[in-house]
Amino acid sequence: MSYGPLLFLGILFTLASSWVGLVLLPHRQMGALGQHTDTNTAAIYPAARSGEAQQGAEHYRSLGCVYCHTQQVRPEGYGSDIERGWGRRRTVSRDYIHDKTVMLGTMRTGPDLTNIGERQADAAWHYRHLYNPQITSPGSIMPPHAFLFETQAIGPAGRSTNALVLEGTFAPPAGQQVIPTRRADQLVAYLRSLKSSGDLPEAPVKKEEAQ
Amino acid sequence: MSVIAFILLGSVVLLPAAGLLALRWATSTGQFRCPDKAALLPFDEVEPVGMETDCILGGNRR
Amino acid sequence: MINQSQTLQNKTLRALLPGDALTGGGTEGGKKAALAEIDASCRVPVLFFFLSGLAWLLAGTVLALVASIKLHTPGFLAGWEWLTFANVRTAHLNTVVYGFASQISVGVTIWLMCRLCRIPLVAPGLITVANLFYNLGVTVGVGGILIGDSTAIEWLEMPRYATPILFVSYALIAVWTIVTFRLRAERHLYVSQWYLLAAVLWFPWLYGTAQVMLLIEPVRGVVQAAVNWWFAHNVLGLWFTPIGLASIYYFIPKVIGRPIHSYYLSVLGFWSLALFYNWNGMHHLVGGPLPAWMITVSIVASVMMLIPVITVAINHHFTMVGHFGKLKYSPTLRFMVFGAVSYTLASLQGVASAVRSISEVTHFTHHTIAHAHLGMYAFFTMVMFGAMYYILPRITQREWPSNGLISLHFWGVALGIVLYVVPMSIMGFIQGTMLNDAAVRFLDVVQFTLPWLKLRTLAGLLLAAGHVAFVINVGWLLVRMFEPYRKPVVSILTGEAETVAAAKLP
Repeated sequence: MSYGPLLFLGILFTLASSWVGLVLLPHRQMGALGQHTDTNTAAIYPAARSGEAQQGAEHYRSLGCVYCHTQQVRPEGYGSDIERGWGRRRTVSRDYIHDKTVMLGTMRTGPDLTNIGERQADAAWHYRHLYNPQITSPGSIMPPHAFLFETQAIGPAGRSTNALVLEGTFAPPAGQQVIPTRRADQLVAYLRSLKSSGDLPEAPVKKEEAQ
Repeated sequence: MSVIAFILLGSVVLLPAAGLLALRWATSTGQFRCPDKAALLPFDEVEPVGMETDCILGGNRR
Repeated sequence: MINQSQTLQNKTLRALLPGDALTGGGTEGGKKAALAEIDASCRVPVLFFFLSGLAWLLAGTVLALVASIKLHTPGFLAGWEWLTFANVRTAHLNTVVYGFASQISVGVTIWLMCRLCRIPLVAPGLITVANLFYNLGVTVGVGGILIGDSTAIEWLEMPRYATPILFVSYALIAVWTIVTFRLRAERHLYVSQWYLLAAVLWFPWLYGTAQVMLLIEPVRGVVQAAVNWWFAHNVLGLWFTPIGLASIYYFIPKVIGRPIHSYYLSVLGFWSLALFYNWNGMHHLVGGPLPAWMITVSIVASVMMLIPVITVAINHHFTMVGHFGKLKYSPTLRFMVFGAVSYTLASLQGVASAVRSISEVTHFTHHTIAHAHLGMYAFFTMVMFGAMYYILPRITQREWPSNGLISLHFWGVALGIVLYVVPMSIMGFIQGTMLNDAAVRFLDVVQFTLPWLKLRTLAGLLLAAGHVAFVINVGWLLVRMFEPYRKPVVSILTGEAETVAAAKLP
């Protein structure tokens, strides 16, 4: 028997239906989401990122951080995301409107980073962690990103102000210092900008925790 | 929202309608007659049903 | 003696009878070509796709091993930026998915379409151009990933400057398939052709749409994630799965000489797969920041996948009932049955992982990685290996040089993938349970996974050994193409049934 035309129609219709359902409709529903302005405090959320942090987001993409780190907090009572302190509320569509590439991630070889800027505000910690994760998190399997740093001789003016404070086996040879490259600065700026805990009507932060 | 409603309603009506038309076309042109014959399509006179192909292991080659 | 007379008889039959003389008439199409003639016409184009696919398989295997070692020994090759875990892992995925699996798929599709349409290969030039574009695209794409141009969109990591090259190739292959379909000499369609036609039409559309919506004119916000997983799940559901099932539907009946259990069921299986599979993607985002309705729709569709999965399972496994003894003799059958059983298991695991309460545990863990390998390797790759074992001797008109290498290949990859999937599934489940208990420190979860990750490297070595054995055997076969044909005692090219019966005698 020959199903030719039926087959062609079916092939087209089936894929078209899911494209309409899972791509076109969500695009209509969420593609134009904007910032939310709080009526009481006039606070705008989510705030746009600095240029430095936007550059850092490109390094986050290029270095493939997304393959081990998620950027999404699941709702309370579903998984332990909130109990672990990864966020004060679940993340919603509006949290991601400024992301050029949305990197929700599907794997938690490392912890979630949705609010890492809030959970770990110390820039020095981020630099040392990127240089070699064993310094700040012994037992971690995150690869060292020493290629984002330069080891150079200490000049006559003494140690550079942005040189990493490294001790013990991690310290560079005597007379040398470890300086972050431009990329490391931008990446840390991005990581420190990661905060998704603004109060939103669709995802309110619990009052006692928000204070 | 009106666009979404339009697409949803349109597809709700059009998709089953197209399905029904295709089904009518298929039955009226005899597409469903003896489908089991199609199961014989991989076979022919050189390699008929009942003939095993590709038996190469466990024999006494080499 | 039996061999020779059988060969003679077959040759005489082929010479005396035109293609459609014995099929019972009812054909409105042109003159049907003999199988041997079709096989010979496929030789060069199919070999192109198979050989370049196998080259990518070796590259992908090395990348896989490096990535696997890096995950439990992070200091391994840590000095080179282009070899970070993320780069190697991504390059591995793209080489095996686009370089290896897709190219073998195209080779198998070409051969199956020609055989089922009963015409010699048309427009070999088109296929050759498609192949050149394809390999150029994958080379540029994987190179781009290694130098840090990855898009970080899963399954679509190849940078913007590489993907249009691949798209041209997919479009050419779709055009070729439609042309072949239009020129077919056999008017009636076999179920494999449905799946193949659907796959080659679905994929360029899918790929093109995803490229436009994510890389060329990117949509905003989490809609990207929706497009991403609509695409990524459909690569499996609407490209690899149909081609894998098409192969099983052809090769199992062909090898054991028995028609498929129920043709009605195969029709039901095809349409239910077409209806439900493409709605599955959002189950990768359970708990994520998307509207609940989208995720619910995908979970429902994932559960509905039970219909095509069970129909296909009944059809494949019941066809085999009473013929399991033949697994001993046919490498194609071994790989095919291994793949068919894995398809059932992978699909059931997939349905289970889509359910909210189970996804709560398995999402974000190595369970998903195990599931991906159960589907892409234990099902799809095994089926493709089986198909190559059948196709290569027929298009080259040479026998497989070494049975020992065939056994080494089969047992290496069979044990390797079991040793990969089973422990990783269990480990992922425990990992998820630990992650969901906020009292367990995150670093303790990391430490828990280490011994299991080392076991995975071991499994990877077994897989690699199997791949090397296969590639050596294929290379040897190619060398034999340049030597005169020597007929072994048991031949697959002529008079199979009789010779094997003779070989089995004490």
